[in-house]
Amino acid sequence: MAESDALDDTGRREFLVKVTSVVGGAGAAAACLPFVASMNPSADLLAKANTEVDLSGIPEGGMHTVAWQGKPVFVLHRSEEQIKAMNLSNGGLDPEPDKQRVKQPEWLVVIGVCTHMGCVPNKEGPGWTCHCHGSQYDDSGRILRGPAPKNLEVPPYRFVAANKIIIGQA
Amino acid sequence: MANKIIQWIDRRFPLTSFVKHELTGYPTPRNLSYWWNFGFLAGIVLTLQVVTGIFLAMHYKPDASVAFDSIQHIMRDVNYGWLLRFMHSTGASAFFLVIYIHMARTLYYGSYRAPRELMWWTGQGLLLLLMATAFMGYLLPWGQMSFWGATVITNLFRATPFIGDQVVVWLRGDYAVGDDTLTRFFALHYLFPFLIIAGVVVHLVALHTVRSSNPSGIDLADKDNIPFHPYFTSKDFFGLGVFLIAYFTVVFFFPHSMIEAENNIPANPMVTPNHIVPEWYFLPFYAILRSVPNMVGGVAAMFLSVMIFAFMPFLDRSRIPGGARYRPVYRVLFFIFMLDILVLGYVGYYPPTSQTIAIGQVATFYYFGSFLLLPFISKAEDQWLFKKGLPPNIIALIESEAIEKRILPQRRRRGDIT
Amino acid sequence: MNKFIAVLVLHCFISPAWAEEAKLEKIQVDTSVLAVERGVDTFMNACHGCHSLKYVHYRDLAGFGVNKDKISAWRGDSTLDAAMTSLMSDDAAMQSFGKIPPDLSMMTKAREGGNSYLYSYLIGYYLTPEGMTSNHVFPETKMPDALGMSGATDPAQRSEVQAKAHDIVSFLSWAADPHEAERLTLGYYVIGYLIILTLLLYNVMLAVWSKIK
Repeated sequence: MAESDALDDTGRREFLVKVTSVVGGAGAAAACLPFVASMNPSADLLAKANTEVDLSGIPEGGMHTVAWQGKPVFVLHRSEEQIKAMNLSNGGLDPEPDKQRVKQPEWLVVIGVCTHMGCVPNKEGPGWTCHCHGSQYDDSGRILRGPAPKNLEVPPYRFVAANKIIIGQA
Repeated sequence: MANKIIQWIDRRFPLTSFVKHELTGYPTPRNLSYWWNFGFLAGIVLTLQVVTGIFLAMHYKPDASVAFDSIQHIMRDVNYGWLLRFMHSTGASAFFLVIYIHMARTLYYGSYRAPRELMWWTGQGLLLLLMATAFMGYLLPWGQMSFWGATVITNLFRATPFIGDQVVVWLRGDYAVGDDTLTRFFALHYLFPFLIIAGVVVHLVALHTVRSSNPSGIDLADKDNIPFHPYFTSKDFFGLGVFLIAYFTVVFFFPHSMIEAENNIPANPMVTPNHIVPEWYFLPFYAILRSVPNMVGGVAAMFLSVMIFAFMPFLDRSRIPGGARYRPVYRVLFFIFMLDILVLGYVGYYPPTSQTIAIGQVATFYYFGSFLLLPFISKAEDQWLFKKGLPPNIIALIESEAIEKRILPQRRRRGDIT
Repeated sequence: MNKFIAVLVLHCFISPAWAEEAKLEKIQVDTSVLAVERGVDTFMNACHGCHSLKYVHYRDLAGFGVNKDKISAWRGDSTLDAAMTSLMSDDAAMQSFGKIPPDLSMMTKAREGGNSYLYSYLIGYYLTPEGMTSNHVFPETKMPDALGMSGATDPAQRSEVQAKAHDIVSFLSWAADPHEAERLTLGYYVIGYLIILTLLLYNVMLAVWSKIK
């Protein structure tokens, strides 16, 4: 009699300890979430997640670099010849038709961060050259030569007026 | 697998024997009451403060021109920044509450007496570090109360003999509390908790040498000791649950009660608020400062009022074990002393009037008097109790424990027990 | 000993009794979006000319759920991300009032009495026998009676001013503590969880200690 009681007690105790450990562990894990979340970008930074660009000031053939989420974005006003040249090929190492990379062919909008190691490429002649490791991009931001594996990324953007875009909103 | 890993470690580091010695095998008096939970709770609050503090420091800027703004940034824009900040500001009060109860328990049960003097003194050092940390942390929000609190407290050091004014300027790094003061207070506010952790380690090593005291005040024989784990781990965790309910009730529902209204106004060196009060945990000491009409005397009295606790092991002359449990006079003294601290806190909270000054002076007088008269009172109580005869249950307890301690080595030698 | 703790804890929560200048009208703020929206409306007309809210941004209003068109009307040329600063320069303020009107972002938390203080102050204006406006709650104030309480004579007018003051305070109370609603909701969950956990821990303790009793 006494023995079975003792056994029951042990079983009950072990069960209780298990349940409590699970409940307590879940709570401790949940308590970590606010701490982790606090290291994510704060609300004031998220509010700067969109950048408005006025295109009227960019001459044909000219390029403006604007900051979007702390990164440079190249806005290139392409001429007829440049557009034609870009439509002739699908680029090099990472083939992609030019049409898929633009919303309106005269405006190219790409993130100016080399897809290799994150340097900012320079506009040199036709296309861009990254001086860190020598990657070369064409006027559609497509990788032609060098260690970079991918084309320059196209950020989400949309035209809100004929000559105004918002980067950050698709 | 787990066993193999532990074996691997054990060959290189005494993990199992450490856990056994300090936790699963660590003998703890079985009669500890809930008042013995507060040391563990103090460790938990320290951890909470360090962790929330580190995450707050990722967003806070210790520069007088933007410090207040960065607090608003934390409160409004940082994800869960309000939670981190309220946990930290409430945690400061929780820390003092827990520590004061921990100290009151030590005083009531006479746990400061031999052989635990070093525990009491390391605890005293920890209290001073805690006070310094809290005081410097209070400047960081750079509100009106922060600024003027720091101004008043650094001015206390004017009472230093001969070089008072230089010391004040040296502490501030400026002629008034300013940007340099803020930056150094931030650096030290981040450093001191690690000194506290080091102090806690010393405190714990001392504890595991002399073992826990217990309500009877008698060092118990082996039969009355039980392993710390699982008995006191389960009890400590239950106490932690109760503590967290109280703590988070304040954090979520009354967090602003821990932040003075004036501290929501940015620091302005040109305008002093009408009524400067320190945080509640400094009030009794602040009242003592104000009760002495002379500046140097007041500062000296305030420092002494904190430091005088260190003399307790010498002041208590009684031969009866423990604290208030078997000593009616000491018990009465203890409760009047607690009441006296509350009176001082009340006086410290209100602006000085002739009435509160008078009450404060009486309370200050009693505060020091109870320490200074303790040697004589405890001696007299001791003689009276021995003449009257101790209560039979304590005599029985002392005798049975003595017998137990005498037989035990014999039984161990015979091989009855291991 | 228990009493000692009770008194000590109570002591931390008691608000100072010496602030007995004028009796404050105790109010409960309305935390609904509509009340805050009305409050911003009145605030933009009556207060924003001089007072800034430099820690509150128009986007915060949008995040709280205030009507987007109204926000556009209030912000005019400023961006959604801009702080709600006033148009008055510090120099102009010094010339008109002799001091810079305080920023109101934290006002409901920066005064003893909080919301009730602010409300009582706003409706505390009256005409002295000499025909000057004064204030019951804060006689030294340099702020003119923006809501027109001192001029309001009939009860309907007065209750209209009171309603406006109430809305302004509701808005400013939200502005000073924008995460309050989120905090209270999370608080109920956390406390509920902790009560369950503590009950479990209590039973674990009893079960463990039953081994030796």
